[in-house]
Amino acid sequence: MRAIAHVARSTFRETVREKLLWLVAAYGIVLVVSTWILSPLSVGAARDKIVVDVGLAGISLFGVLTAIMIGGALVHKEIDKKAVYMVLTRPVSRGEYLVGKFAGIMAAISSLVGLMAVLLVLVMLAGRVDLTRVLFAAVALSLVEIAVITAIVVLFSTFTTPVLTSFFTIGVFVAGSLGSDLRIFAQKFGGAAMRRVMDVLYFMLPNLSIFNLRHEAVHGLRLTGHEFLVSLLYGAVYAAAMLYFAWLIFRRREFA
Amino acid sequence: MEVLRVEDVRKSFRGDLSLRRREVLHGVSLYAAAGEILGFLGPNGAGKTTTIKIILGLLRPDSGSVTIFGNPAGGREAARSIGYLPETPYFHPHLTLREFLGFCGGLSGLSGADLRRRVEETTALVGLEPHAGRRLKGFSKGMLQRAGLAQAILHGPDLLVLDEPFSGLDPLGRKMVRDILVDLRGRGKTIFFSSHILPDMEALCDRTAIIRDGVVTRSVTLDEIYRLGEGTVEITARGCPENTAHDLADYIESIQCSGEETFLIVRRQEFVRTVIQHLYRSGSEVLEVATQHPSLEDVFLTEFSQPRSDAEKETAARPSVGAGAQGRSS
Repeated sequence: MRAIAHVARSTFRETVREKLLWLVAAYGIVLVVSTWILSPLSVGAARDKIVVDVGLAGISLFGVLTAIMIGGALVHKEIDKKAVYMVLTRPVSRGEYLVGKFAGIMAAISSLVGLMAVLLVLVMLAGRVDLTRVLFAAVALSLVEIAVITAIVVLFSTFTTPVLTSFFTIGVFVAGSLGSDLRIFAQKFGGAAMRRVMDVLYFMLPNLSIFNLRHEAVHGLRLTGHEFLVSLLYGAVYAAAMLYFAWLIFRRREFA
Repeated sequence: MEVLRVEDVRKSFRGDLSLRRREVLHGVSLYAAAGEILGFLGPNGAGKTTTIKIILGLLRPDSGSVTIFGNPAGGREAARSIGYLPETPYFHPHLTLREFLGFCGGLSGLSGADLRRRVEETTALVGLEPHAGRRLKGFSKGMLQRAGLAQAILHGPDLLVLDEPFSGLDPLGRKMVRDILVDLRGRGKTIFFSSHILPDMEALCDRTAIIRDGVVTRSVTLDEIYRLGEGTVEITARGCPENTAHDLADYIESIQCSGEETFLIVRRQEFVRTVIQHLYRSGSEVLEVATQHPSLEDVFLTEFSQPRSDAEKETAARPSVGAGAQGRSS
């Protein structure tokens, strides 16, 4: 555990000092703040919905983008530049290294998401938009979604380049976000083969739509604790599975 | 006590576009004893870094074994006793030196006040005390090399594995590293290092293993190198007549004139008296008689000027079974 904490702390420091992180953070903040500017174009309840919808979408999108851009480059760069030798030649297992990397990246992105969430709340308070529990649940599940994506980034970065890692992860993100819809579409209109393919993809890829509570937050719908916990558990199990597969690859990897 | 043992290690790699594997280590065997500085010498591509990576567990051998204090390489126990400096160190650029050393020490099991004390001591030892709060991205190559040495010795490992530790260092830096390594040897640490800088290696090493085409072909101590040169004596004389070379042709290997002085290399030690007597008789003045020792460089160049023996080729070609040769001793 101590080794994981050391790797995580060093990764956190590296990540928050990366200029790229602050560039992404700036875009995220601009997006959240822009809802304040956009909202006067509509009135009443519609304005409130824009603030919540755009704000939550910004948090999710920029969190995921940060995970893809920073995470992939960070792990791959350490392997490519041989900085990883400093860690793996010490009494640290490869599993501890990967989990530490994941935890460090997540800690940095959580800070970013927290910052954006605080800004969103300030914008909402300034616009007298009601703060609901679902809104906070939506932010929390965005973080779970980012954790799943970060674990996938770590998996890809153990065997491929940052560019391909980004490409594959974006593919998984898009397919995972639309997986439920595509499966329903295939079941209604597709042939047997198409249905089977979509079923396989649906169960293999992460179902990211369950982390998306924007609809509930925008329309003030109720969310049960059970639904929230199921989503949380699903995300935790999926991220753990991705890290396990990453370890299976990484523990066999040689550094020529 | 044996600290490091590499036993008949073979390693092959697959080419980027080829399915065929190319063997780069053909049964490397070597050992290092406690408190010994073992140099690892060989031309580029001979297999030095591959061997080092196998010792560190970054690569797995196809066959053979590596043990560190009796523990298999790559395991947690072996890693606890190793300090490693890579050839071209790249460290986390956004960390300060103090943070970086704290990170490395923490991974090696140090903590609290002990970690902080060792970070400060080691930073001072490698001469980077004024730069402890600076980020590594602003460090020069030589400073990074010193930082690399600091992280390798920080946790007090019993075995240091250093890949080109003098690379990028200025003369002062080289001297500092040499002094540190000698001091560590004095404290019973074992040091295994590769280098292209032969005078440094000769000055430091108790023994040098020479690797050639993936096989350790020779393992020599400094004494053995000196013994190789017994009998070669250089005489410096003044006022030698022109026919000296002709008269002493049977006794000297070479003769060179520079101004008034003449330098004669005597063929064998028992001829020294004859040559000196001849020089006196011819009216010359003998200024100096010095025994010449070959350098490690001479041994290295001699080793690589000869084709590999059939026995060595056979060793390289045979399948890896049993214990391999330790390299022939001179």
